[in-house]
Amino acid sequence: METVNKQVITAKPDRSTERRKSHFKPPVKRLMLPSIIFVALVTQIPFLITLYFSLHQWNLMRPDLGRAFAGFANYKQLLTSASTWSVIQNTFVLTVGALLLCLMMGMAFALLLNRNFFAKGLVRTMLITPFFIMPTVTGVIWKNMILDPNFGFLAYLSQQLGAGPVEWLTHHPLLTIMMMIAWQWTPFFLLVLLAGLQSVPEDAIEASMLDGAGKAGQFIHVTLPHLLRYIEVASLLGIIFIMQEFGLIYVTTSGGPGYASTNLTFQVYRTGFQGWDIGGASAVGVIIVVLSVLMMTLLFKFLRRTFQGELS
Amino acid sequence: MKRMLSGGLTLGTYLIALIYFFPVFLMLITGFKLEGQAAIMPPTLWFTPTLDNFDLVWNSGAAKFFQHSIIVTLGSTFFAMLLGVPAAYALAMFRLKRADDILFWFISTKMMPVIAAIVPIYLLFRNLGLLDTLAGLILMGIAMNVPLVIWMMRSFFKEIPYDLIEASQVDGASGWVGFIKITLPTVRPGLISTALLCAIFAWNEFLLGVSLTYTNAATMPVYMATFMTQEGLFWAKMSAVATISVLPAMVLGWFTQKQLVRGLTMGAVK
Repeated sequence: METVNKQVITAKPDRSTERRKSHFKPPVKRLMLPSIIFVALVTQIPFLITLYFSLHQWNLMRPDLGRAFAGFANYKQLLTSASTWSVIQNTFVLTVGALLLCLMMGMAFALLLNRNFFAKGLVRTMLITPFFIMPTVTGVIWKNMILDPNFGFLAYLSQQLGAGPVEWLTHHPLLTIMMMIAWQWTPFFLLVLLAGLQSVPEDAIEASMLDGAGKAGQFIHVTLPHLLRYIEVASLLGIIFIMQEFGLIYVTTSGGPGYASTNLTFQVYRTGFQGWDIGGASAVGVIIVVLSVLMMTLLFKFLRRTFQGELS
Repeated sequence: MKRMLSGGLTLGTYLIALIYFFPVFLMLITGFKLEGQAAIMPPTLWFTPTLDNFDLVWNSGAAKFFQHSIIVTLGSTFFAMLLGVPAAYALAMFRLKRADDILFWFISTKMMPVIAAIVPIYLLFRNLGLLDTLAGLILMGIAMNVPLVIWMMRSFFKEIPYDLIEASQVDGASGWVGFIKITLPTVRPGLISTALLCAIFAWNEFLLGVSLTYTNAATMPVYMATFMTQEGLFWAKMSAVATISVLPAMVLGWFTQKQLVRGLTMGAVK
């Protein structure tokens, strides 16, 4: 691989023109169409059907009522019910809160790992392992073994310190889930930010040292600007995935108590697969898409910029 | 002074890593304890490990769901690669007018929450007889992973020196032969890490599993969720199931550490 990589650098500048001149005719359509058609069929068409269903009154528990066109009745009902707004608020709080936690801890971990010390590989492995643990297992282990107010490890610790146990998931459901999400996703931020730290150009550091910048000045003027792009990428993808959190909520609180820890994703599941209200669930789904599109449009500019290097 | 500070930082790093890893560690050791020892606080580190819990949960259901997970993971990874790799190759190698749009479209499908499409998918599956089948889950898994494969493999293909590609195409052999004999082996490390990453995602997938299966095709994450509600108080057994559930993805993750960043950021950062 080493030699191949070196060749790349020399071959890079005019590869695209070279490629255009090449004399074999590539079967581009045959290579690309299968995947495009497949992905469109499985992920895009159902979206359109969701849109269609959201305009209908249809509950699978009441087959006698059948399916009837209802205009915007589902939306009207959703937007006037208090639970919808608390669900939207939960989604926002959960996403932003977890994102900030991930950024701070990820940054701290990355800085700690960007040094040389004994058994660094092992430490890194330990820190990123939570990312590979499936969310349902994370939820189950945390809920029962760590946070349980009677038997959990934290209850034991607080008892040793003379404090009373905390009913984490009943009294602070959103905060607790936020912490679990942060535990799972910090490794992702750690990895991306560490890659950023390790790619800070050496000469920039040397130049700043010659200018007499201290460690702190160096971090602010050289490292941080370089890291910005990495922070953007991590945040962007982090938002997308954290917003869709589902498994953790499913096994820890089931969205409760009440709606206290239900996010939009879980609300679709509740309405669709527990209440069997197809119209209502579809309307929530559409709201999710609208909000995602809105957010993506807001992020669009820097999205394009972020992936520009790749897209050229 | 400086050395002391550095030593302190290192020590702090070890401590943080230990605390951060603790829940996983607790899970890993508790599965090997007797049920009576499992709930004792503080958790004891000195005990005679037993495989009884693993035996028990494996033979009372976990084996079946583990098998489902294996089939779904292998199936969806294999077909996602089969569909995605050629597309990635085309996008990386040939100057296409709409390459940007196509790539952007793929990444946008990854950003759109699956949940917004799950209701129609459920109903379609019910009508097509795909509900609670492994084939259905594999189908969905492929669609989830194809965009990832395309993004990742494209960035690997772009690193191949052009001469090599041309050499693979000129000597009279058909394009496919050159592609399979020369191009693919060159990007082998990329292929492997892409496949491993897809496998990790497919293995941990829960939303589709819980919505589209009951018992005939339920995967490990789904089993874990139901197990919890039934026997959440039996920590040793619970830990054994949890350990079995996470082991494949965890080990694959450890092996892909180095390539992970690129895959997770879809090539935006290397």
